Amino acid sequence: MKKIIALISCMFGLFVFMNYHEPQVNAAEKTYTIGTDVTFPPFVYANSNNKYVGIDMELIRSIAKKEGFKVDIKPIGFNAAVQSLSSGQIDGVIAGMTITDERRQKFDFSTPYYKSGIVMAVAPKGDVKSLKDLKGKKVAVKTGTAGATYANSIKDRYGFKTVTFDDSDNVYNDVKNGNSAACFDDSAVLNYGVKTGLGLKVVTKPTDIGSYGFAVEKGKNKELLSKFNSGLKKLKANGQYDKIIKKYTGESATASQKKANDKADSEGHTFIGLIKQNKSAILSGIFETIKLTVVSIICATVFGVLIGLLGVLPSKFARGASTTIIYIFRGLPLLVLALFIYNGVPSLTGSKVPAFIAGIITLTLNEGAYTAAFVKGGIQAVDPGQMEAARSLGLPFGRSMRKIILPQGIKIMIPSFINQFIITLKDTSILSIIGILELTQTGKIIIARNLEGFKIWTIIALIYLIIITVLTLLSKWVERRIND
Amino acid sequence: MKNLKVDVTDLKKNFGDNHVLKGIDFKVATNEVVVLIGPSGSGKSTLLRCLNRLEEPTSGKVVIDGNNISDPKTNIDQARENIGMVFQHFNLFNNLTVGQNVELAPVELGKMSKEEAVVAAKKLLNTVGLDDKYDAMPQSLSGGQKQRVAIARALAMNPDIMLFDEPTSALDPEMVGDVLAVMKDLAKKGMTMVVVTHEMGFAKEVADRVVFMADGKVMEEGKPEDVFDNPQNERTKTFLEKVINV
Repeated sequence: MKKIIALISCMFGLFVFMNYHEPQVNAAEKTYTIGTDVTFPPFVYANSNNKYVGIDMELIRSIAKKEGFKVDIKPIGFNAAVQSLSSGQIDGVIAGMTITDERRQKFDFSTPYYKSGIVMAVAPKGDVKSLKDLKGKKVAVKTGTAGATYANSIKDRYGFKTVTFDDSDNVYNDVKNGNSAACFDDSAVLNYGVKTGLGLKVVTKPTDIGSYGFAVEKGKNKELLSKFNSGLKKLKANGQYDKIIKKYTGESATASQKKANDKADSEGHTFIGLIKQNKSAILSGIFETIKLTVVSIICATVFGVLIGLLGVLPSKFARGASTTIIYIFRGLPLLVLALFIYNGVPSLTGSKVPAFIAGIITLTLNEGAYTAAFVKGGIQAVDPGQMEAARSLGLPFGRSMRKIILPQGIKIMIPSFINQFIITLKDTSILSIIGILELTQTGKIIIARNLEGFKIWTIIALIYLIIITVLTLLSKWVERRIND
Repeated sequence: MKNLKVDVTDLKKNFGDNHVLKGIDFKVATNEVVVLIGPSGSGKSTLLRCLNRLEEPTSGKVVIDGNNISDPKTNIDQARENIGMVFQHFNLFNNLTVGQNVELAPVELGKMSKEEAVVAAKKLLNTVGLDDKYDAMPQSLSGGQKQRVAIARALAMNPDIMLFDEPTSALDPEMVGDVLAVMKDLAKKGMTMVVVTHEMGFAKEVADRVVFMADGKVMEEGKPEDVFDNPQNERTKTFLEKVINV
């Protein structure tokens, strides 16, 4: 038993160490955390090496270079990026964000860096040719985008309903497979998509809805905003700006991207091809998932055992505290808890919580509550006569617990522990919502680029099953060791 | 009463609205063997469990060796070291071997070193006729064997009073004799004992005094021959007729 505890604490120490990043001491080169979308080509997207490229990425990196600061790019999805910015988790957002009056109330925007409008795209073979044809049909939009706002503003007039998705590729797929009749998105994005083989066609002229801007939290980070503005001005003056725009929207750019997509298509139709192409991304996703699982299993077990033990103490107060903690954290949906800790708490306290830490806290509280419940139940399942016999000999409560009750209770709990470990592994996938690049989020990003939903999700599902099998075998081995 | 070992005054115990003990006065002298008899639900076991505070008395006073057991300030763990208890369902520690069951308390409570405890445990198991079971797990023993181990476990703390809560009720009939033999032996050696039992033969043969309880009260007490052969209380008469005619 002592050896196991020592091993677990060593592993825990190792992971803490691995996750500790040396703070940036170079005062001249300040690092800003910039949130962006997972996929919004040609502004933001991962290329085939899973490097984030696009107009927005080149702009922010070039401006950073010109103005002498560093950027830490977090591709967490448009919706999550906007929420993280308003809770102060990140310093700025550049994600093809249209400057609107509503957004101005929460954010300060840079000078516009791109003019855009909303267009409607439909499946090439469909019968929808204009807004009037949408009556009684469904329209796909992406949460929180200007396209969604525009669609909602005209839906009553044209008599259609909107369906919202978190990722652009889900929007496009919904139109392609015929669930939705059309989608609304920024003209630059849709035109780029059409040219590079998205499989949709644009049927309306851009409505003049405004311009894209770089955003910071309102009243904060004035320094970053002015650096961005002055950098943008310099890029426009020396012609670098035009070069970047041309690089991603010019005929040659789209043609070569289409060729690359077609090539990836022909190579990547097989499972092996897809795995080969995305090997490094998948591996780092697996590593992140395992890291999350191991650290949160350890933390949740420690937390759960403590709370569970609290629940069997003679003190009424201790038992009440245990019951309350279990009630709250078992009752909260994991998703709500994750968003509350990552976005909710920082907007109240003003201090950032790194996504990994927020994820660990979420899983510790939720899985720990379940652990506490079965630890308590396991102890209560031991015959009360055992405790009476121990106490009648003069052994104090604590020692009776340790020597007699716990060793018997733990045997009862072991199957529940194994079960909980597996659930914890699966629940790490929910943390993709706060932008942790674990296996599920990695899958989303890969699909955002290659649209191979079925095959990539099959691969991801198989990887989960393999990890779960290994975890189960490991647990069974430990179980046998304890039972011997 | 000379050499008063147990002195219970006006002991009451309620479980909610259920008044199980309704004012018990009960005394035991040193070296005395007292047997508690009575119909089920009369409060015999509850009285016994109040003696080492496994049940918290509702009111009244329990004094053992001048130690006020019913006072919450009393260090109950220390008091229990001198009060051995044997349970109806044995309650052997299922995670420990027979030997470890016997050795646990003296070693944990610093009464003996591990080596001394091993010697003592083997000796005690020998007196209850189970020296060959030292390494066995409780699950592999018969009921009678388990109960004899439980007696050895209680004796390992060297108590000066032993409480028996229906020690033979859960046993197959052919096992009862072995356990009673151990208890008789203990009584002969001068152990102070309070025994709740339905074994009237044992009561007649071994008890110095028999206490008959019904409805949470002591109805009658006296020497076994007086209580059994010439009961005064109507309740005692009815009870004995039923038990002895069976």
